[in-house]
Amino acid sequence: MAIGLKAYRDLCHGCGNCVTACPVNSLRSDDVAGGKGPSELLDLIMIVEDGAVQLKNVDLCGKCGTCVESCPVEAIRLEEV
Amino acid sequence: METTEIKEGKDITVERTGEEERKLLFKDPLCAVCGLCETICPVSAIEVCPTGAMIRTEQDTSKIEIDENKCVLCGMCSGICPFQALDLQIDGESIKTMVEYPQIIKSADIDELECIQCKACETACPQDAITITRELPKRADLITGEIEIDKDTCIYCGMCEEMCPVDAIDIAHQIPSSDSPVVATDIEVNEDTCVHCGICKRICPVDAIRQVCRICPYGEYEIEVPEVTGTSYIDPELCVNCTWCQEICPVDAAHVTKPFEGELTIDQDTCQACETCVMVCPCNVLSFPKSEKAGSKPEKLHKDERFCIYCGACEKSCPVDAIDVKRTKINYSPTKSKAWVKAFESLKN
Repeated sequence: MAIGLKAYRDLCHGCGNCVTACPVNSLRSDDVAGGKGPSELLDLIMIVEDGAVQLKNVDLCGKCGTCVESCPVEAIRLEEV
Repeated sequence: METTEIKEGKDITVERTGEEERKLLFKDPLCAVCGLCETICPVSAIEVCPTGAMIRTEQDTSKIEIDENKCVLCGMCSGICPFQALDLQIDGESIKTMVEYPQIIKSADIDELECIQCKACETACPQDAITITRELPKRADLITGEIEIDKDTCIYCGMCEEMCPVDAIDIAHQIPSSDSPVVATDIEVNEDTCVHCGICKRICPVDAIRQVCRICPYGEYEIEVPEVTGTSYIDPELCVNCTWCQEICPVDAAHVTKPFEGELTIDQDTCQACETCVMVCPCNVLSFPKSEKAGSKPEKLHKDERFCIYCGACEKSCPVDAIDVKRTKINYSPTKSKAWVKAFESLKN
């Protein structure tokens, strides 16, 4: 049993809060940190794709919980995987 | 001999019966998820869950997992835990009270003789471990004076009653009737409550109040100020020896010994100000500084190492490795056991 990142695309509104709040993402690009979202191809933990959150590089996740706190609809969670 | 694991809510007990009964108790609410138990365990029986996830988000599981098939109940995790979350008991007695076992040296005391019951430590303690009780004297015991209302002169306007800051004046108001054609029948001053401030005298439109405060003319000699008495208590289970009480005490009544010494370094460029470490730190070492004025840019993350016990929870929680916790000294009582010395010393980095 381990705790990891899980995305619930059916709950997601696609606001992108998690993408820009994530400290790992924001360290990789000033654009992401500034709230615009990625403008180039970057290795990010999650992005918004087709209107909903999509996990991309979960192995980069430090499991800090910042995205979970930023999500208004509990569509991204840290739970048993 | 058989080792069993019992879970009660999020608390864990690993038990081994035999010639002697050994029990390892884990109290989940006390755990700060620092990871020291996982590091010191010689048989890799402990897995500590991700710190940020456990502190910041709601989880149904315990903060650590103990593999009862690997655990040898040696007690090293219990010996090192700075938060009293782990305790090894042999035949019902904690190894933290046994001279045969080395002890982490840490303490927190409030000197009752020095303490003035100001409650600064109680307010500052990040773990709410301190309770200060205090018995204050009656206000009337700190003041002396005389007050008299001339009832024949008084017109019962009620201004004094309305303005009295301690509600010491009471007027028996009434609607006048042909039988009793007055707006009030009586006025009383409660001399136990009155603080002789003189407001009633000054507001009275008909000079019906004679009031003298004796403190000023006679000086301080007239009154013997009663002492404030009280008690202080530090909950040994909750205390994390962070020294907040010691540093904030205005009369040096609190004395704390930290379990570890070391150095805390923050890489301000890498830090993304996600707040995980601020929420995780059990000692309130970290905070976000407020900008002094528009346009000024303070450091991202502020630390005050006076309060740091170098447990490493912040370093473990940081998702971008912006924090480095270096332990340079582990304070423990002398022991002949080379294994324990090696284990404690291995936590220095």
